[in-house]
Amino acid sequence: MSLPTALERLATYRTNNTRASQDTFEQGCITLKSQSTAKLGDEVWGFLEQLALASIDVGRLDIADECLKQLGVKFPRSPRVDVLTGIRMEATESPDTVLEYYDQLLEEDSANAAAWKRRISVLRRTGKYERAVEELSKFLDTFYTDVEGWLELADIYSSCNQYTHALQALSHALLLAPQNPFTFLQFAETAYTSGDLPLALKMFLVVVEMGERDIKPEAPPSGINFRAWLGVKLCARQLVSASHISSASDTPIPKTIKLIDELATERVLLYYQGEKETGSKHVYDWLASS
Amino acid sequence: MSSSTVSLYLDPQIRDWVLFPITLVMILVGILRHYVVVLLQSPPKKQTREAIREQRAIVRSQILRATSANSPAPPQFYTSISRHLSQAFAAGTYLKDGPPKGDAAPTPPNPMDPANMDGMMSSMKTQMVMMVPQMVIMGWINFFFQGFVLIKLPFPLTLGFKSMLQRGIETPDMDVRWVSSLSWYFLNFFGLNGLYRLILGGENSADSSRDMTASPFATAGAAPPGVPQDFNKLFKVERDNLEFSEGLYSWVGANVEERVLRRHGKLQPQ
Repeated sequence: MSLPTALERLATYRTNNTRASQDTFEQGCITLKSQSTAKLGDEVWGFLEQLALASIDVGRLDIADECLKQLGVKFPRSPRVDVLTGIRMEATESPDTVLEYYDQLLEEDSANAAAWKRRISVLRRTGKYERAVEELSKFLDTFYTDVEGWLELADIYSSCNQYTHALQALSHALLLAPQNPFTFLQFAETAYTSGDLPLALKMFLVVVEMGERDIKPEAPPSGINFRAWLGVKLCARQLVSASHISSASDTPIPKTIKLIDELATERVLLYYQGEKETGSKHVYDWLASS
Repeated sequence: MSSSTVSLYLDPQIRDWVLFPITLVMILVGILRHYVVVLLQSPPKKQTREAIREQRAIVRSQILRATSANSPAPPQFYTSISRHLSQAFAAGTYLKDGPPKGDAAPTPPNPMDPANMDGMMSSMKTQMVMMVPQMVIMGWINFFFQGFVLIKLPFPLTLGFKSMLQRGIETPDMDVRWVSSLSWYFLNFFGLNGLYRLILGGENSADSSRDMTASPFATAGAAPPGVPQDFNKLFKVERDNLEFSEGLYSWVGANVEERVLRRHGKLQPQ
């Protein structure tokens, strides 16, 4: 692969924040070996950071150290390089050492968001969920607009079966990114898992409404929409037959639940139309049994 | 006086020794000033965690309110967030120095607080770097080249331009097309910004005409970073907004099943 294409691809990865570590590493090594880093101008520092992260990811710590050395010479005492050094330490050092290092960074500048997030991730990785949740809540109280932070909090809560708390965290993520159907889907699935079927049904329908806005109503569902339709079917099937379903969020069961159930069945069948594989038979059986 | 009978000829030496030097000096001074300003800029002051929290607390409620008419959050979650924020604002939980104690009147922030003078000082410094060279150049031109006629514009102009183009020359009869040295300075002063942008990039600090209009105190009203704000008051106002939005609130999922059913023709369209 030639150098200009390699550089171009790396630049795209940087702008899109893609984590294609193996590819980044290979392209980056071409660039590093060809001694053309000087030609990059000021972009070389962004490139070095990218390559360092990628090589830590693929386990080539020697390359990462080389990048870090160059960055450290150019930007002494830069918080960004400090955090990168911390990530490099996470690869080899014990969690306690790394935590101490991040503590030190945070003592110098208590508002160093990147170091704080790394610290939380180390806490979670080492199984200290309580402290991770505590720190993450504090972090989000300060940096409210961090959507990934809220999703991470929801993920920690879900992994500990604390679905009510997870839903609360997800509702913040929804407020921050109301245009993202995947957050709605996650909310709906978490609500389903927590047993709040009416709420889950509504949220699945919101996903469907968002996702199918630009396609024809007759077209078979695909991707996230199909997953949401399956969710609708799962909820509706239980809500139709059950006489009394409790909802922690006091969401009423829609009066048209029979129609919804019908529609969901149609949509799911539409997806499997014309498919003769063994999987579809199970779906037909499942739909027929309700 | 018609232009065909013009009997004014400019010495080419004026072009070489006055016109070009003035332009060149102004360009070079602009570039130099850009780098001096870059050197003078102090790194942004680090804020503590508490200060950031205080500043961004308002944003939380703004985000909540932004979508309240069609909110993605289900009613229970919306009200719990809204109530929580409202209570926190009332109690002053988000204030940097903790909730206000007792009935002691909050001291109004001191605008001359040394902690807040940094921003003002740096803008004063920039101003000085802008003003001093311009004054020196103007003095230089006035001293050496006063009353010089430098160029002749290739197009005719009305008398109204006389004061603009022939500053420093008190001749009522001369054709307006002749440009005096002082006027040439002003034309450069306002016109070189495009050239600086070409040489130094978009966000250069070489352009001085922009800073002539900006006083170091003009920004005080717009609350730049560093100028204290009474967050307690802002929070109190935000509480009312929160209550208002709670009245406007409706959940995006409220009637979603009807909308989806209508779309697929299961219900009669309205």
